[in-house]
Amino acid sequence: MIQISSDIIRGYNDTMILYLLLNKPSYGYEISKQIKELSGEKYVIKETTLYSAFTRMEKNGYVESFSDQDNTAGKRRTYYRITELGRQYYREKCEEWMLTQEVVEKFIMKQ
Amino acid sequence: MEAIRNYLETMFLNLPNTPEVYKAKNELWQMMEDKYTELKAEGKSENEAVGTVISEFGNLDELAKDLGIEQIVHSTPVSNAKTLPLEDVKRYIAEHSKHAFFTALGVMLCILSVCAPILFDGIAGTWNMNEDAMSALGVCLMFVLIAIAVGLFIYSGVMIGKWKYLQNENYVTDFATTEYLHQQAESYKPTYAILLTIGVILCVLSVVPSILIDSFTNYSYFWENLSGALLFVFAGIGVFMIVIGSMRIGSYNTLLKLNQQGTVGGSYTTSQQNNSQYIHPAVTGIMSVYWPTVTCLYLIWSFLTFDWWITWIIWPIAGIIASLINNTLKK
Repeated sequence: MIQISSDIIRGYNDTMILYLLLNKPSYGYEISKQIKELSGEKYVIKETTLYSAFTRMEKNGYVESFSDQDNTAGKRRTYYRITELGRQYYREKCEEWMLTQEVVEKFIMKQ
Repeated sequence: MEAIRNYLETMFLNLPNTPEVYKAKNELWQMMEDKYTELKAEGKSENEAVGTVISEFGNLDELAKDLGIEQIVHSTPVSNAKTLPLEDVKRYIAEHSKHAFFTALGVMLCILSVCAPILFDGIAGTWNMNEDAMSALGVCLMFVLIAIAVGLFIYSGVMIGKWKYLQNENYVTDFATTEYLHQQAESYKPTYAILLTIGVILCVLSVVPSILIDSFTNYSYFWENLSGALLFVFAGIGVFMIVIGSMRIGSYNTLLKLNQQGTVGGSYTTSQQNNSQYIHPAVTGIMSVYWPTVTCLYLIWSFLTFDWWITWIIWPIAGIIASLINNTLKK
């Protein structure tokens, strides 16, 4: 079975995470679960990849982290919230992808 | 759940103990725990859940840059350090506690050996026996005891020699083993404290029987000798307790020290206090032989003059000098 190319997807992990944060803050496992579900179980993000993305984006000012009580699970969690800079970066990445897709698409042979 | 925890701890065991690493570990643990809980809720078996969580964990190399540990992750290949299995650790502890017993027994025999000539002399003097023959017997017995002690030292030393390779080669212990060692060392500590305390008390009190016997009994040649011998019996038992306790706690520390200091695994060691660093290398050299030298001085002075009532003064003085050196010349 053909697997997703980790080289290509690596550049878009941030985009996926930011997309999931657009409407409400979220935490590690919830995001990884949503990525898995939205991708139709075709892509599972590794824990270390996810954590590395969080720390990098926090350093760049795209997300902010805060600690809060999760009422359903009854424990404290680190939540992430998207910043204005993050929204701007997300839009840029979307445009970048549209362009990339448009270009690559022209060279894809369809049976 | 325990398997996941062990997996994560093992991954982090040889990383530096910094806030970033600590935070990363907690965050990753949160995610793994959430995933595990959900998989279990979906009705997956323990093995399946653990397997999925571990296979989807990823690789610490990815975090190297974020955690500032690139050098460690890339410069020390895992194959460089061999892992010491738990069975070996248990054998090491078992054999070293035997070694501790033999050594302590040997030291005690050496101390007790002095009693033989004293007692035989006393017996001969009291019951009018052939003094020459009896003192010859006493001296012979003394040498027999010393010979047994030396035999114990050699036998035990050779038996324990095979573990030398731990010091020469790069060995580490994994998380579960380190945790086991740490717990063993912790649970031995109360025993060690008791052995050390009673041992020191016995050494200090070793002069008490002689004082009591001398003042409460009528002067008799036998009792006078017995009181001298009792001093060595007390000191011998005291030293036995100190040696066996220190050696056993030492074997735990040796194993815990295998993991580099400053790593999560190495942070269990108390060795930071033991590895004293002095400003000048010469001071380090002197301090490494300081206490043995003091002990020699004490014994030489005591045996040459037999002024046991005053020679103990060497210990408090030596203690004050040592703490002066430690406080002023330590890095």
